[in-house]
Amino acid sequence: MKKYFRVWWRIAVASLLTQFSTWLSSVGYLLGKLIRLFFFFIFIVAIFQHTKSLKGYSLAQTVLFFLTFNLVDIVAQLFFRGIYAARRIVMEGDLDFFLVQPASPLFRMACGTVDFLDFFTLIPVLALVGMTFSHLPEYLNFFSLFFYVLLVLNGILIALAIHVAVAAMAVWTQELENTIWIYRDLMTLGRFPIDIYSSAVRWVLTLAIPIAVMTSFPAQAFLGKLSLGWILFSFGLSIAMISLSLGLWNKALKEYTSVSS
Amino acid sequence: MKKYFYVFSLSLQQAMQHRASLLMDRVRSVALLLSLYFLWSALMQNQDSFLGYSRTQMLSYVLCMNLLRAFVLSTHAWDMVGEISSGRISSYLLRPIRYFGFCLARDFSQKVVFLGSALLEVFLLLWCLRATVYFPGSWRSVFFFFVAVWGAFFMYFFLAFLVSSLAFWTSESAGPLFCFELLLQFTAGVFFPLDVLPPYVQGWLHVLPFPYLIYFPLSIYLEKLPLSSILHGFMMQGVWMVILGWVAAGVWRKGLRVYMAEGG
Repeated sequence: MKKYFRVWWRIAVASLLTQFSTWLSSVGYLLGKLIRLFFFFIFIVAIFQHTKSLKGYSLAQTVLFFLTFNLVDIVAQLFFRGIYAARRIVMEGDLDFFLVQPASPLFRMACGTVDFLDFFTLIPVLALVGMTFSHLPEYLNFFSLFFYVLLVLNGILIALAIHVAVAAMAVWTQELENTIWIYRDLMTLGRFPIDIYSSAVRWVLTLAIPIAVMTSFPAQAFLGKLSLGWILFSFGLSIAMISLSLGLWNKALKEYTSVSS
Repeated sequence: MKKYFYVFSLSLQQAMQHRASLLMDRVRSVALLLSLYFLWSALMQNQDSFLGYSRTQMLSYVLCMNLLRAFVLSTHAWDMVGEISSGRISSYLLRPIRYFGFCLARDFSQKVVFLGSALLEVFLLLWCLRATVYFPGSWRSVFFFFVAVWGAFFMYFFLAFLVSSLAFWTSESAGPLFCFELLLQFTAGVFFPLDVLPPYVQGWLHVLPFPYLIYFPLSIYLEKLPLSSILHGFMMQGVWMVILGWVAAGVWRKGLRVYMAEGG
């Protein structure tokens, strides 16, 4: 574990230095991310100037859903950014290089890049989550907070499972470079409470592509609107998805016959 | 003119060749379309109107926004950045073709493909959700709408060309371009009608060119503007088109002077 932390730290420092060396581009990306966060936040606040609730949720509750979506999404991007280059890593022969190193090739691929711009975006999101909690004192207690944190971590675990599955498919097929972007785009459906969607879409977003489990369930648990059955289902789902994706990864590695180098 | 038609035709074939990239771009649009459609449906569930929009008008705003976004805001500007940074643009400069016209023809091909795809998405959504669309009551509104869309088309082309030309001075223009695109989409009315914002913010935004790209044509389509506001909007589009076209051409000329064909 200590070895992996040291490797991750080295990679993180190198990534940070790279981002500093291209400071203009990095500032542009960071500003873009902050603008997106700021404008959506303003949008939610603005629509609540004209309505009292959104599917029964107040302004603070809707903001909590939006921030939870950002929290899961940003943390996943911060730590698993390397998967975005999965196909390139395979095609350019870097995977061969990872395979002979004394570290898990999956770890090297997933954590090969640490996007510190997401770290800087995470700070205002965490601050806003804290402020939102203070606007919902009637829900704030040890258990609601405990389940919220647990389900956010569970959401990040599901995100990891999806990233691992994408990496496995990239190794297996040497194609599908766009798969991770499709996931990212579908993930934006979790920006608002899942209750706004029709029952068919809700079903898909809970069971088929579990975006609701990742982004809406933590906020629903905090607000006391998620039954124990669904909480247990979330944990079961993440365990199943992690097992499945790791199985897929191992199978992909067995099938891998070296592409380049 | 014929050679620009060939550029258009070749770019069209190229866009159809890269089907995975096309699919990815459209998944993004469909995700946005679905989330906004259901958000506004939920907001208008218990009320007949919101911010002066009837339910049909608001949902039509979202659906038509998808079409306008595909037609107005699709561009090959990122390719131009890559061509300048890598020096590939040298080969275009040596050809008997104007790069400006080349980009226009290339952009137009992408717009045709994206618009075709967006039309399909909207029809599918309409069919699945049994939704109704608002149609303008007069042909005058339809005519003004199409004029505004073409105005927006050229405004955005000049804007994208101008921002992409930054690549002549720095190889790091990808970040600023990303930031610019997001800012533009929010202030153009892609994510929400600008009426949602407080009046003083709307006042500031209407001095900028962005609301005339999406929000203005859609407001004409939904017949929310009186004739005087429509004419004022056309005047603003015209003024911005001239300014942006003039600045883009000037920056391009200056850029060519500092261009050193690095890597070319």
